Amino acid sequence: MSEQMTAKVDVDLAQPSILSRRNPLRYVLLLAGLAVVVMLPYWIYPPVAMDILSWGLFAISVDLLLGFTGLLSFGHAAFWGGSAYCSGLIASHFGVPFPVAVLGGALFAMLIAWPIGYLSVRRTGIYFAMVTLAFAQMLYFVANQARDLTGGENGLQGIPRSFFGIDAVENDPFYFYYAGAVMILLGILLAWRVVNSPFGRVLTAVRDNPARARALGYDVERYKITVFVISAGLAGLAGGVFAISHQFASLQELMWTTSGKVVLVTVLGGIGTLWGGLVGAGVVVTLEDYLASSGFEGIGLITGTIFVVIVLLFRHGIWGTARNVLRRYVLERRQKSRD
Amino acid sequence: MRSRTVQGTVAIAATASLALAACGGAGGPQSSGSSKLTDDKVVIGLLNDQSGVYKDLSGPNSAVAIQMAIDDYKAKYGDKAVAKDIEIVQADHQNKADIANSKAQEMYDRQKADVILDVPNSAAALAVATQAKNKKKLYINIGAGTTALTGASCNKYTFHWAYNTGVLARGTAGAITKAGGTRWNIVYPDYAFGQDMNKSFTKEVTAAGGTVGQSIASPFPSDNFATFITKAGEGNPKVIGSMHAGGDLINFVKQFNQSPLKGKVTLAVGLMFITDIHSLGVDQFAGTQFTDPWYWNFDAQNKAWADRFKAKTNTRPSFAHAANYSAALNYLEAVQAAGTDNADAVAAQLEGKKINDVFLRNGEVRKADHAVIHDVYLAKVKSKAPEDWDYEDIVKTIPAAEAYGAPNPACSMG
Repeated sequence: MSEQMTAKVDVDLAQPSILSRRNPLRYVLLLAGLAVVVMLPYWIYPPVAMDILSWGLFAISVDLLLGFTGLLSFGHAAFWGGSAYCSGLIASHFGVPFPVAVLGGALFAMLIAWPIGYLSVRRTGIYFAMVTLAFAQMLYFVANQARDLTGGENGLQGIPRSFFGIDAVENDPFYFYYAGAVMILLGILLAWRVVNSPFGRVLTAVRDNPARARALGYDVERYKITVFVISAGLAGLAGGVFAISHQFASLQELMWTTSGKVVLVTVLGGIGTLWGGLVGAGVVVTLEDYLASSGFEGIGLITGTIFVVIVLLFRHGIWGTARNVLRRYVLERRQKSRD
Repeated sequence: MRSRTVQGTVAIAATASLALAACGGAGGPQSSGSSKLTDDKVVIGLLNDQSGVYKDLSGPNSAVAIQMAIDDYKAKYGDKAVAKDIEIVQADHQNKADIANSKAQEMYDRQKADVILDVPNSAAALAVATQAKNKKKLYINIGAGTTALTGASCNKYTFHWAYNTGVLARGTAGAITKAGGTRWNIVYPDYAFGQDMNKSFTKEVTAAGGTVGQSIASPFPSDNFATFITKAGEGNPKVIGSMHAGGDLINFVKQFNQSPLKGKVTLAVGLMFITDIHSLGVDQFAGTQFTDPWYWNFDAQNKAWADRFKAKTNTRPSFAHAANYSAALNYLEAVQAAGTDNADAVAAQLEGKKINDVFLRNGEVRKADHAVIHDVYLAKVKSKAPEDWDYEDIVKTIPAAEAYGAPNPACSMG
């Protein structure tokens, strides 16, 4: 499946970019996106809004691997959950402001990503997915067994949320959202910079034709490990903010279903679109939140159906499809004005 | 372009109205004093598994039980009722602790729940207890068994209504050992609940004069228990204790029944719900002994309530359903006595209260650790069910004090 998807992405990137630097539409879209992020907690319950942003960055971190490097990681829960626990432990034991704890968690995620990446990037496709899944499961069992540290089944309860003694942020989820959103936005900015850099171009080359990239003198393995570690750091950043937001880290965060869900979110939003992760997270998290209170039993049924429909009808995901429509519209208009 | 302007206007309007609502909300409860209800109504939140493995033993039918409590409260007090407008809000935590955590937060904050009930799954329950403590709102646990709720993680706003793992161990291990089952082998699932159960069972067996030969950990979850059952048969035990729950328990019992041990060794089960017996069939469990906090066909009072329940749901209640009814009714009684739904005032009414109702016999809301202690029962599964759901013989009643023991010294109410 992933190979087919990446093949589609190639076509996308080969097209002339509409949202190039000089196009005003690009700034309009960015501002609109920023406005949505700012307004989100007014429209929906702030902790749910925070979940959307966290899952959005998590999906973006997966997209960095899946869409831009062609690696389908099925073990990203290890970095999300590993950082959730680590951030929680740092916050509980040292009482530092939460951004420090979250950065500590992200650092931990990168630290464990290095050996995992070193061992797994030698494989591609389904083998890469399985190796990453195996490592994530290992971490899951370690966390389950180390009960004294992680609380085992019961999870890490009552993580403090300290923020330089500012009461509103510490206790009100509405204000915490903005503090957390800043961290998430910094993560997104980093992902964006990575993609739109010479380094990102090499990644695309590695994805499309590793043999040629190697022939041109690029150390393919090293590039893969580097982007794997960056991706893990972003997933860790998201997981840390998520844990601090809930003041709670549970084994659920390390479970393979979490790895599966984030791939689903990424595919829904659109692989290789970067922003698609946020859109996919918005859809999945809101839907889950809504269905949990609706009294309807088949939550999996609904999300599953939507997934199938999107994959069958909109191969590029929600944002990918929207972008293509927009692109066609702009091209047509430009053509007309030229005539 | 026009649509963007409209959106902007809507956004500004939304902001303004929300800001106003926030100010109004902040002013409201403070100015109204402590003699009234917050938001002019009482909201009871029910947070449990409504789609997964615990759906049958509590799930949506607990809302029916809570509604019965509301009806009874209204019928009793009529016009004198402090809470005239009572609402139930429900959510499905899908057995995920993080969902339970955010849903509980949402119930307290957004849906204005005054109390949350149920919450099976210990991790989820501990998360909700933490929320209750932070939000200073009540939480009455029913579905989860962890003793941490009345131990190290206890707090002023959390009550533990129905049972805990300590009660199960004292009831089952104590009774069976004293009845001559002195040599035990225990098989437990290797996660927090199983490890706790293994520890408390071992302690109680030893205290009652028995010995535990082997404690065998099995992976969780698992389908194949054959090797563990064979191993548990070694050393000529009189009793094999299974600490599994739900699907694992059903698999374990099925495979135990196919092993040569059946009939030679007593099978004791740590935690069993009547819904487990119903799903596997009474013949598979025949003779199994376990501790049951409540049984619908125990006496006429229980039976009458179970008949009312059956008329609404077409099924018999588990102990969790009866406990949800009892907790909701006593919460409303406490609101009536306090004249307010203020959490501190209601908690003060509940603390130390002695209760006898359809669920609680010789019940007492213990002030020291907020454990709601009551008589529990040692049950034995019948070999044939005279009618559907009539599966248990009550062997003996275990008095509240004996079942619950002394309050946990690890608990200090903050």
